[in-house]
Amino acid sequence: MPQTITEKILARAGGVDSVRPGQNLPFRPDHMIAYDFPGYTDVMFRQMHEDFGITELAEPERYLVFIDHMLTKGDEKERDIHKVTRDWCDFYGVTLHEAEGIGHQVAAELGYAPPGRFLIHFDGHVSGLGAFGSLGWGVRRDLLEAWVSGQIYLDVPATVRFDLTGEFRPGVDNRDLIHAIIGRLGADGCAHQVMEFGGPGAEAMSIDRRQGLCGMAMFTGAVSAIFNPDRRALDYADAVARGPYEPVSSDPDAEYSSRHTFDLSTIEPQVVLPGSARSANTRGVSELDTTEVTKAFIGSCASGRIEDIRDAAALLEGRKVSAGVELNVVPTSAEIHRQAEREGLLDVLRAAGANIHTSSCDFCFGYQKPLQPGEKCISTGVLNISGRMGSTASEIYMGSASTVAASAITGTITDPREVMA
Amino acid sequence: MSGYPPPPETIRGRVAWIFGDDFDVDLIIGVENIKHYDADVLRGVTMQAYDPDFVDEVEPGDVIVGGRNFGYGHPHYPPLVALRNLGVAAVVAESFSPGFWRGETYNGMPLITAPGITDHVRRWDPVEVDWRKARVTLPTAGTTLEGTPPSERVTKIIEAGGSLRLLLAEHRR
Repeated sequence: MPQTITEKILARAGGVDSVRPGQNLPFRPDHMIAYDFPGYTDVMFRQMHEDFGITELAEPERYLVFIDHMLTKGDEKERDIHKVTRDWCDFYGVTLHEAEGIGHQVAAELGYAPPGRFLIHFDGHVSGLGAFGSLGWGVRRDLLEAWVSGQIYLDVPATVRFDLTGEFRPGVDNRDLIHAIIGRLGADGCAHQVMEFGGPGAEAMSIDRRQGLCGMAMFTGAVSAIFNPDRRALDYADAVARGPYEPVSSDPDAEYSSRHTFDLSTIEPQVVLPGSARSANTRGVSELDTTEVTKAFIGSCASGRIEDIRDAAALLEGRKVSAGVELNVVPTSAEIHRQAEREGLLDVLRAAGANIHTSSCDFCFGYQKPLQPGEKCISTGVLNISGRMGSTASEIYMGSASTVAASAITGTITDPREVMA
Repeated sequence: MSGYPPPPETIRGRVAWIFGDDFDVDLIIGVENIKHYDADVLRGVTMQAYDPDFVDEVEPGDVIVGGRNFGYGHPHYPPLVALRNLGVAAVVAESFSPGFWRGETYNGMPLITAPGITDHVRRWDPVEVDWRKARVTLPTAGTTLEGTPPSERVTKIIEAGGSLRLLLAEHRR
């Protein structure tokens, strides 16, 4: 029976020859991941030990914990939260990565997500690992099911195929594509399904772009997103993989619930109005060119990678951030931060007046320098619901790193192609 | 937070409210209040933006009706805790956003996908929900809608009053 890459990964994880959409089966993830966050991990830690009476893990190597939130205040609350996490990981022999960057990126860099792997996390942005031909699925509190039993029951999702043609034009990237997809298909266009990207446009897309694209899958209603592994993904994986892995790809005659073609060369810069990323809030950047901003943010698990920083630096080189705007740039990981420093990109950004911060999730969820009432921010963060980055009386517009950089220069939401011209 | 009493075989009540498409449940209590779990605080803020009398009029067994993609956004748990505290026993919608569906199924809330529901109900219509069969009976409209029944696993979760209770029964050492 022909299968999609997602079905093949799940069949292996389910210990069966094949799966079909709609089946509900238990699956064994290769890695079961969390970042520490009050109300989530501390509760799970306590539940496992006290409620379930688990004092030893059969396979601690399948568990993975990141400390990437709440790293920037250095106060007692932060120290307490992270101490609980360290103690728990130490007790159970679970690998902990602390302050190395945003986990969804660090997991890729450290080789946890080579092609064919199945990974779950309570946070849905783990779908970014689909860039490598691995399946990352955000399961919310059901992570506990996997942590106490080693497996998780899931409905096998159908797959929506996106055939990408052409290449992004200068000033346009994956961020504009995901919002263009939402604009066309709606916020539930891929509900309960997996987005699979293929075609010449997908093959031409860099790993950074693929990660950013896949990481936003949830805003189409998708449970994940994935690329079939090609030379780029395999080269990346070969350099970092921890142990052997088995790449799989969709069969040519695999069944899809629907197919959509997007010509990347026709995508225009997109901006999302404050509220949420649904289609009614999605606009071409030119429609918002009189909207003034006071803050600009480049970072999060959906941006802040080396190519995003290069794009921002190219726009900001020899220019200045507008006097009325504060631009904050957070590389997605410590490794990316070092690379950006080596390439001189951070010096360019600093010279333009940008603030560079240590890698963490803290800006994106309103923990670090929260927005004040009345502020308007243009952001590459993942979410722009009211109050996400600070005050509920502030506003968040979302766009690509190029759009954020261009807007920071002019002080109003700006098409990056105008600054390039 | 961790679960609710299992529902009866047939949930009988009224349609306490009808929400539109892509509804963000955080709005039920207002985004300023999405970190609260205290029952009194939640009662004071529930549905205030829609109907200040809601908290006094809703009764145990009543259900909420939603449009397409109910639960879209970045759903937090307190809004549904607030509705549960008031006796809301199920959500019936055209379709559910996956993240919301997963989070509330974990909590043991029966979520019934019933395409066509919003065309057939008005507020306070009586309703019967056979959650195992995803069958929604609407006497006023003279209609019965049937969705896709929950999987065996989800049925067990609802029967147990939430995933945590089921997992404890299965895996406590």
